[in-house]
Amino acid sequence: MLPQRLKKAITDNPKKLGNLIDLVNLPSTLRDFLGQSQISRLGCFIRVWSYIKTNNLQDPKNKNVVNCDEKLKGILLGKKRVELAELPSLIKLHFPKEPK
Amino acid sequence: MGKIPSSFRSLTSTQLVKKPAAPPAAPPRDFRNGIAGRESAKPSEDSREPLRNPFKSPDLSDAKSLFNSIAATSRIPLDLKFHNSVLQSYASIAAVDDTVKLFQHIRKSQPGFSPEPSTFHILLSHACRAPDSSLSSVHQVLNLMVNSGVAPNQATTDIAVRSLCESGRVSEAMDLMKELTKKHAPPDAYTYNYLLKQLCKSGPLLFVYDFIDEMLKDYEVKPDLISFTILIDNVCNSKNLREAENLVSALRRAGFKMDCFAYNTIMKGYCTMSKGSEAVGVYKKMKEEGVEPDRVTYNTLIFGLSKCGRVEEARKYMETMVESGYEPDAVAYTSLMNGMCRKGLTLGALSLLGEMEAKGCAPNDCTYNTLLYGMCKARLLDKGIEVYGLMKSNGVKLESGAYATLVKTLVRSGKVAEAYAVFDYAVESKSLTDASAYSTLETTLKWLKKAKEQGLAV
Repeated sequence: MLPQRLKKAITDNPKKLGNLIDLVNLPSTLRDFLGQSQISRLGCFIRVWSYIKTNNLQDPKNKNVVNCDEKLKGILLGKKRVELAELPSLIKLHFPKEPK
Repeated sequence: MGKIPSSFRSLTSTQLVKKPAAPPAAPPRDFRNGIAGRESAKPSEDSREPLRNPFKSPDLSDAKSLFNSIAATSRIPLDLKFHNSVLQSYASIAAVDDTVKLFQHIRKSQPGFSPEPSTFHILLSHACRAPDSSLSSVHQVLNLMVNSGVAPNQATTDIAVRSLCESGRVSEAMDLMKELTKKHAPPDAYTYNYLLKQLCKSGPLLFVYDFIDEMLKDYEVKPDLISFTILIDNVCNSKNLREAENLVSALRRAGFKMDCFAYNTIMKGYCTMSKGSEAVGVYKKMKEEGVEPDRVTYNTLIFGLSKCGRVEEARKYMETMVESGYEPDAVAYTSLMNGMCRKGLTLGALSLLGEMEAKGCAPNDCTYNTLLYGMCKARLLDKGIEVYGLMKSNGVKLESGAYATLVKTLVRSGKVAEAYAVFDYAVESKSLTDASAYSTLETTLKWLKKAKEQGLAV
């Protein structure tokens, strides 16, 4: 069964979890957006997502799309419209890759 | 799905915990010892309420002077209870040595004070919880006890064993039990079974059998029906059902008759292994031997049959359950729903929700999660969202399986924003840790991207 396997993979794999919750020194672009110099990938995602919610940046016609404001554009490759589905992978670009 | 609904799990396991650990029923223990045992069982609560504890610092001389001032100003004569509670309070913050010294101080300054077993039990329980690896302080207290002319009794053994086990020193507890049995009194059934259960949890089965043999051969302490049930439960949990059968015959050889609880335990073993026919076999055997099945029996059977896909039979047993005077509860309904969802009778499972509510049986968290999972698996997203709405309005937590399936189903039908909302609810209601909720979402979105690239999705 997928979900249980998934859950197991997360709890059994400290490396993967570490990649998600370890604090990372941020590049300057992110530092300006978040106002702090260190954050985990998880924390960063939650901050960006709540930023989108509080500023009502979701397209009213299609909630799956985010219309970026200037600030958000700066950290998401300068894109004007971003699909919610690609948000995690865009945020991941700012973080060091998992060592294989 | 293959897992026991959590509500079901608690039903069987809590009873197993309760049964052997019911010290108030212990006939040979005198009332005062029982109290001392219980008081000493929760020193952490004392320390959490510093206002009640007259002792502010673990320093011995402070404690002595405080005691002296109380003793000098008290108008009522100080009795045993008072001295015990003084020691108890002091023990909650001070080291073992200091507590023993305070005890000696009290004994010297109060000639009317004659310590009873309960007094030593306070010291003993404290010594057993002390974090040093050797048992020297425990022996020190025991020697003190014997030298004061108070013989350790069964309550002493019980308190020492429980305190040691609770601080994670099971093998020390075993050694001490052997020693106390040799020198003083054999343990009573409650202590023996408690230790047996702890040994089962902590070590290999052979080790446990060795212990039983040694107690039997050297000290003539025999396992009873409860001991066998504990062993059966333990081997069933490690999926060793052949050994469980051996234990059943060993139990019969030892002259015991299986009771309902023992049958339920072995039936649970078969059910978790999805062995429906064997579970029904246990039920029939019970009937043959004239053991009346109880609610747990029926719940277990319904769960087991649903699990291995024999929903029709499970339903039949639900009717039998009603005939025997047990209204099916949330556990029975949830098991049946689980089975129906697995069989593809998803809408039937949903209608069962209405049925149970009409009969006045409230669904629990597990019921909702089972249904949500079933709906999403059967790609009945609308129904799934309905169930999710119900859960949200009732504040029900999401289980990881149901959550992952819901997110995946939403993403698959292009409702990414809704999936994000579900993520928010999971985090907000503290159903899952942030990290696992997020990684599920992330994995699902990654999967979507891949599927899109291959031209498969939406």
